[in-house]
Amino acid sequence: MTPEDTVSVSGDIPKNADISGIDVCSHPKRFISRIRIEDRAKLILMAAVVFTVAVLFFIIIFISYNSLDAVKEIGIWEFLTGGTWSPGSGAYGASSLIVGTFLVTGGSILFALPVGLGMAIYINDVASPRVRNILKPACELFAGIPSVVYGFIGLAVMVPFLMDVFPAHLNYGTSWLAGSLLLGIMALPIIISVSQDSLEAVPGSYREASMALGATKWETTRKVVLRSAVSGIAAAVILGIGRALGETMAVMMVTGNSALIPEPLWNIFDMVRTLTASIALEMPEAVHGSLHFSALFMLALILMVIVLLVNTVARRMVRRTKIKMGTEKAADVRRRRLFAPLSESHKEMAKTAAVYALVFAPAFMISSLFIGTYGGIAIGALAAAGLPVSKRISRAIGPNRVQSTVYLMLGITVAAVLAVLAVFLGVIAVNGLPAISPEFIFSPPSNSGLSGGIWPAVIGTIELAAGTALISFPLGVCSGIYLSQYAGDTRLIRLARQAIDSLNGTPSIIFGLFGMSLLVIAFGWGYSLVGGCITLSLMVLPTIIKTTEEAVSAVPKDLTEASAAMGASKWHTVSKVLLPASMGGVITGFILSIGRAIGETAPIMFTAAVAFRTTSSFSLLDPIMALPYHLYYLASEVPGSTANQYGTALVLMMIVIVLFAAASVIRYRYRKKTGW
Amino acid sequence: MNIIETNDLSLWYGNKQTLFDINMPIKKNSITSIIGPSGCGKSTLIRVFNRMNDLIDGTKISGTVLYDGNNICRPDTDVLALRKRVGMIFQKANPFPMTVRDNITYGPKLHGVKDQKELDEIVESSLRRAALFEEVKDRLNASALSLSGGQQQRLCIARALSIEPEVILMDEPTSALDPIATAKIEELALELKENYTVVTVTHNMQQAGRISDYTGFMYLGRLEEFGKTRDIFESPKSELTERYVSGRFG
Ligand SMILES: Nc1ncnc2c1ncn2[C@@H]1O[C@H](COP(=O)(O)OP(=O)(O)O)[C@@H](O)[C@H]1O
Ligand SMILES: [Mg+2]
Repeated sequence: MTPEDTVSVSGDIPKNADISGIDVCSHPKRFISRIRIEDRAKLILMAAVVFTVAVLFFIIIFISYNSLDAVKEIGIWEFLTGGTWSPGSGAYGASSLIVGTFLVTGGSILFALPVGLGMAIYINDVASPRVRNILKPACELFAGIPSVVYGFIGLAVMVPFLMDVFPAHLNYGTSWLAGSLLLGIMALPIIISVSQDSLEAVPGSYREASMALGATKWETTRKVVLRSAVSGIAAAVILGIGRALGETMAVMMVTGNSALIPEPLWNIFDMVRTLTASIALEMPEAVHGSLHFSALFMLALILMVIVLLVNTVARRMVRRTKIKMGTEKAADVRRRRLFAPLSESHKEMAKTAAVYALVFAPAFMISSLFIGTYGGIAIGALAAAGLPVSKRISRAIGPNRVQSTVYLMLGITVAAVLAVLAVFLGVIAVNGLPAISPEFIFSPPSNSGLSGGIWPAVIGTIELAAGTALISFPLGVCSGIYLSQYAGDTRLIRLARQAIDSLNGTPSIIFGLFGMSLLVIAFGWGYSLVGGCITLSLMVLPTIIKTTEEAVSAVPKDLTEASAAMGASKWHTVSKVLLPASMGGVITGFILSIGRAIGETAPIMFTAAVAFRTTSSFSLLDPIMALPYHLYYLASEVPGSTANQYGTALVLMMIVIVLFAAASVIRYRYRKKTGW
Repeated sequence: MNIIETNDLSLWYGNKQTLFDINMPIKKNSITSIIGPSGCGKSTLIRVFNRMNDLIDGTKISGTVLYDGNNICRPDTDVLALRKRVGMIFQKANPFPMTVRDNITYGPKLHGVKDQKELDEIVESSLRRAALFEEVKDRLNASALSLSGGQQQRLCIARALSIEPEVILMDEPTSALDPIATAKIEELALELKENYTVVTVTHNMQQAGRISDYTGFMYLGRLEEFGKTRDIFESPKSELTERYVSGRFG
């Protein structure tokens, strides 16, 4: 921030612009007051950014501070490497939880990456525009389904299904496999939409060049387009990983939560326990101030460090690959030197070996679970042998038929995924509809949730949404405007952006712990509506900032210049030209964020939500009931409440869907009106 | 001998007719220039020769285009094989974002060459024929995007040559280049006609005059006049051609 741009209004006016006829500049008094407004506006916007950045630091400080006891009593190394996690007997070794977290996440990406990428290719290369226009919003919708609903469906549909498929291997159905599959399905939308965006962004001239050499569309996609889109796809994957690492509710509901490392390490049928699940499960039992309490914060700290590292690596990688697309840079040269001693044929050999290993390893791992080590080796070898065979086959049938085969398989994949999602939605709808009645919605739960309705939870959710909106909208929009229009490319601003990005990737349960330690304990509010609102606001703030910044920055430059050239001050231009022009994008992003906040469970379960609440009086400092927490509570604590579970899930989903629909309508309207 | 011959070729983009009854012979081992004001259908015409118009939805064709005596407009044409025989250079150099070497080996690998030695030979010979080898021989593993604009365009020519085509289509290959790089490409085109047939679209009449043996002048989707380059420039039959080549419109 330079002193010039805080004061000068004339700086916005091109030097040779004709301003003689403009009335605002001929009144010295108004001129001065306008400068003051300018200053004040900028200050307020900046304060919003400072606040957001401060949140990240406070989160880190609070989480670290609370884990100090554990560090002192147990020691970092022992905590990280210890094999037994048994708080009851005072054993705090988190290695199985860390391993469990990586296993579940890794498994989900192994599943979601090929499937998601395949679907993105299908949408990009094969689907007609009409199909594409259905698939893309469908992706968004599925991304918006609350995690607790996924967990509920996973528990109700997927786990029994897996038990039927693998009766000999699954004792309870809840397993690493179930967790990874469910997380994978949840990660699909983001992987699909980000990869498809990056496939679409590959210049058409690359495609043309490849086709002109006699390549089919599929060969072109595989050999040119995918390679050029690699940075975007990497971003998609890492984003997916970051989310999956921090996912709480869905994972906790289907992984079985046993704090043991699978045996063998790739036994996907074993139960596992993640960091997030441990925190969510044990926090209610941990006494404030105890070693256990502190150890749970330590888990949160570990999780946060892992997620921060992953996201930082992701950003680095994306930036580097982006640069590489343009011209050759230092990193490229370094890589070339590294591989220089290898001849072309050696490189080819290394590549082939890697591909064989990639095929052998999973085939071996999976099949060895069923038929033992030797059988696994045999199957793995068979799969690897399939490689040259499939190559020969594809050469024999020719590139055109290879293409139609591949596209057929992609189409089947798309259809299968859509079918799974349709089953998910269908099961909720079919079981939920009969449960829903005016009484169900408008009466309180009775008989511990076995009967009665959900009215207090509906009210609580609405209150949470309203409060979150009130807090997050002004803060987020102000920060977004500041970053888009006022912030230069200084060190400080880059740091702020990094902080906001980090905040964006922070798992929601971390926000929950932060809210608990600050608002519930330090402020002594106990569980309260306002505590939930604040926690959720902090969580959605980075998203609102980002979407606002993007929307404001997307306004064509000539509009701003036209306004500035007429002698309008910067704030005037921002408030009268830029904001109205970008309102569509801002509001869309905002509504989607609120939709996300409504479905969140982890941030409110330690700050605001209780299972039952009898009084219906309204107070900001009272605890509340909320739909997602109610669903979690019924599904995990109240056996036999099936009808009410489905009813709650359906109501929650309908609220989210309505919000999403509203957002798309607004976006569509504004796009039509503004045309960019 | 005519390697390509169009007979009453018409083309529609959707409902919009873009080419009208084009009859044009392309002689083997010659350079044929297509000139005309922009939007008259030059690119559309040469993109019929390697069926690149297939990529655009809603394209319709009537008439025939004979390539070596076979009508390539028929739906059962092996388009991939056709494109292997008919290479194309685009207006803006479009090397892949890969190394120089990978750009050249892309085509041969696609069509089944696997032997490293053979690939190395192809890289060198293609780059030599595109008069680029000496300039890049130490940078074969550098990104193609680090080359200059003119070098990139010659790399694209080398890439096209790597699969031994018979015809090379060039769509305004020098319009984005400086005069020196342009001169190099023109020189190259003249060398290439020894072994290949070159069809080039150009905006630049001097260029057509300098390098081509035959010239076609197109106007509003029609081939207004076609003949030996000298005839087109010195004694055009059509008034329109005369006005265009003398620079009085266009
Ligand atoms: N993909 C397309 N769809 C519809 N019309 C097109 C398309 N490409 C080109 N045209 C139209 O066809 C005409 C000829 O274009 P083109 O062959 O590119 O001309 P030239 O190369 O001579 O400048 C132009 O009027 C152009 O607008
Ligand atoms: Mg053209």
